[in-house]
Amino acid sequence: MHNLGFALTGAWQVLLAGLALGAGLPIIFALGIRSLAWGAGEASVNSSGVTAGTRRPLGTVLGYALFTVVVLGVLLGLTFIVGSGFGYKLDFSHIYPTLVAK
Amino acid sequence: MILALVVITALAFDFTNGFHDTANAMATSIATKALRPKTAVALSGVLNLVGAFLSVEVALTVTNAVVKIQDKTGAPKAELLADGGSGLLLIILAGLVGGIVWNLLTWLFGLPSSSSHALFGGLVGAALAGLGVAGVNWNGDGSKLDGVVGKVLLPAVISPVIAGVVAAVGTWIIFKVTTGVAARFTEKGFRWGQIGSASLVSLAHGTNDAQKTMGVITLALIASGHWSDLENIPLWVKVSAALAIALGTYLGGWRIIRTLGKGITDITPPQGTAAQSGAAAVILASSHLGFALSTTHVATGSVIGSGLGRPGATVRWGVAGRMVLAWLITLPSAGLVGAAMWYVGDAVGGMAGALAVFTLLVLASGAMYMRSRAGRVDHENVNDDWDGAPDQSATPIPAAAAN
Repeated sequence: MHNLGFALTGAWQVLLAGLALGAGLPIIFALGIRSLAWGAGEASVNSSGVTAGTRRPLGTVLGYALFTVVVLGVLLGLTFIVGSGFGYKLDFSHIYPTLVAK
Repeated sequence: MILALVVITALAFDFTNGFHDTANAMATSIATKALRPKTAVALSGVLNLVGAFLSVEVALTVTNAVVKIQDKTGAPKAELLADGGSGLLLIILAGLVGGIVWNLLTWLFGLPSSSSHALFGGLVGAALAGLGVAGVNWNGDGSKLDGVVGKVLLPAVISPVIAGVVAAVGTWIIFKVTTGVAARFTEKGFRWGQIGSASLVSLAHGTNDAQKTMGVITLALIASGHWSDLENIPLWVKVSAALAIALGTYLGGWRIIRTLGKGITDITPPQGTAAQSGAAAVILASSHLGFALSTTHVATGSVIGSGLGRPGATVRWGVAGRMVLAWLITLPSAGLVGAAMWYVGDAVGGMAGALAVFTLLVLASGAMYMRSRAGRVDHENVNDDWDGAPDQSATPIPAAAAN
């Protein structure tokens, strides 16, 4: 039953990577959406009509910064797909990912 | 001539693989209306086409995972070439037919089952019939995850659970984070989130699945002496396989899209984003780690997970249960068809045998296509409500009862 051992070892790693990237990135994305909304301020309705809320530039900047993190994550995924197609693999032994020939 | 039948059948399998798997990437985006149905299948088709060309790695050894008809370099085993390769071609042909028939049947019932497992099942059945028990790679050689158990059975059990957990966690936290945020921000944001993550899944699918057909066709070419280079795949094989999977994807397996997008659970845009990101991450991470899995199992697991993660959402376990049942019987069923086809081909013998197998395939496909005309599911009605839909034959239960 060596296969079961290999599968369980692999499964752990896939689960951890999946949680970090597959759940982590969308959560960062959601935080980005929240920051953008906060940055745009809350509109209020009163007798003189609808008043736009006060803008909070910090929220907007933070929102786009969070989106950038997500985009980088997606680019990493793309690099992996394209790279492995051409016989390279991503190497994480330096903290930042590098492409090495397989 | 037998070779021509094998090539056509392989491309036909690739085509069914395409429309069977459109749902994996696009069902959620179609269900939440992030993309119009036609736009979604077109996008997915193009990405599959691009993906098929992106990979230059030779997937010549694809059958080694489950059967023993090739050596480690990808060359067909010498003892199978004694008769000019026609014995080997018959095994491949019967295996492909098993895969196609199972793909069409599950499509008819709107069940997302794994195309790779259907192919592997067909090949295992044909190899069992043609070569006996020793012709199947059951358990690998112990050095890595391999064989029917390691490449097919274990991943099928484990990968939907992993994808489900990832998507459930993602969905649950996303809903916590975005509660109370104005809809104009969440709708636009998650629309792009879904399109982006679904595109990644499509691209990854193209790089993985088209390769399998290319490998099988090239193996057939080598076996019949029309190709000898083990390092490269003929350009026309690459182009035709890429086109076949892209066209199949563009055709869209609407029945399966409907089951995955509407049947399991009612998906909202944040769930779609979480499900598709989870699927993309699990697919990429496992292919990085050499853990073979099926896109279908991952995508289905993550859709179920996103249903479990959203507060107040319900998962239709009846639908999910039927799917799991389909997964369980995919390998043996495709195997039975593959084996039966091998016996037919072998009994008739030679060229006529291959023709007989091919004719049976055409008849079976035609019959299932005709059956599907009653109760069409297409881009017009793919998003109709699941419960109480007037189009009863679109749901698997009555269709099964009618048989």
